[in-house]
Amino acid sequence: MSIAETDRASSPVIRRSAASDGSPAIITDLYDALTKRGMSLVDVTWEQQRLHESRRWSVVEMLAAVDLDSLTPLDRNLVWNAGRAELTTKPGADRLERQSEAEVRRWQDKNPTVASIMEACGTWSRYWNEEEAHHETVFNRLADLSGMEPISDETFIQFRQVFPDDDMLRTLVLLAISEITAAVNYGQCQHVIEDPGLRRIFKQVAADEIQHRNYFVSFAKALVDSGEYPAKDAFAVAHLFLREDGELHGSARAQLEQRGSHVNWWDQLEVGDNDFRPEALEKKEQLICGALKKITGIEVHSREEVEDTWMDLVGS
Amino acid sequence: MVTPEVEPYIRQKFAENAGLTEEQLFTADATLADVIASSPRMTNSIDLMEAFARTANGLRKDYGVRVRLPALPLDTPITTVLKTFLDEFEREQKEAAV
Repeated sequence: MSIAETDRASSPVIRRSAASDGSPAIITDLYDALTKRGMSLVDVTWEQQRLHESRRWSVVEMLAAVDLDSLTPLDRNLVWNAGRAELTTKPGADRLERQSEAEVRRWQDKNPTVASIMEACGTWSRYWNEEEAHHETVFNRLADLSGMEPISDETFIQFRQVFPDDDMLRTLVLLAISEITAAVNYGQCQHVIEDPGLRRIFKQVAADEIQHRNYFVSFAKALVDSGEYPAKDAFAVAHLFLREDGELHGSARAQLEQRGSHVNWWDQLEVGDNDFRPEALEKKEQLICGALKKITGIEVHSREEVEDTWMDLVGS
Repeated sequence: MVTPEVEPYIRQKFAENAGLTEEQLFTADATLADVIASSPRMTNSIDLMEAFARTANGLRKDYGVRVRLPALPLDTPITTVLKTFLDEFEREQKEAAV
């Protein structure tokens, strides 16, 4: 079907463009967009599509710019860990799609706006999945080419285990924090990598993860704005990560849960012979506090304030 | 020395928040993973964390003592959790008295 429309009765021919004005961006106030500005799911999906298109990049081209012989043992270890971690994003996106679908059906009659938020989230999961495929393949191909320990099919399948379902707000906040953790880690990696091609890959993937964080925050905010999901659940997940010995400490914790159900990538990072851990805990803490502000409107500045606020919201 | 009624208070509050009876909850070898599995109100460790928080908030309201529990692995026996709660209560109570 042609996207050009011409006025055949007049001359000269006027061609109306089907492209949208303005730079593509995430709809940060999705609840208002749906309820006050009258945006439809077709409108929302169009915005998702054009942002996705604007951010595409080629794994093949990125890999071509890496000088394999210049990679240090630390570079190779960082690539290997990133590749394994990224294996867990496909089950995350698959689960989000399935859970969103179930939530749409659950809310359709009770609160159609919440059903639309869930649908927008489920629809976006296809872009998330595709973008994460770039991350997984770029790092795993590079790890393979640079002679790192191969990822066995058993490990591949183990890392593909799908997370158990949970409350949708908690799920979205957990995913936002996972993206924050990944983005900060990749940002830290850039500081120690010398090869410009490899540095560019980490920079690109970190930028993608921040974009994903922004999407998760927007969906979570829309759920809180709907009045159907309490802010306390966003704070609960943040506290789970930020508390002493919390998830944010990942594989550095003395004791890790032995789960048979799924793999949390942050539990699986291996330092190897290097001392480098891309932790930057304070930066992650500040970004998590910033996400909570956007999602709930409640301002906190530290993990202690996150805990205090969560305890107050929980009540007795 | 912890106030004698605190232990039954914690047992009762936590059982309420878990949606279980004290007899169901405080069996000799039950772990936190078992509690999540048997509770009709819990899906995962976030619910467990919230049940502890509600219990701690109750202690703060009724006894004026703020208890903070550390992150506990899911294989921790519930009897150990109860002891940790009581130890923390005692520690906080002593600190508040100084």
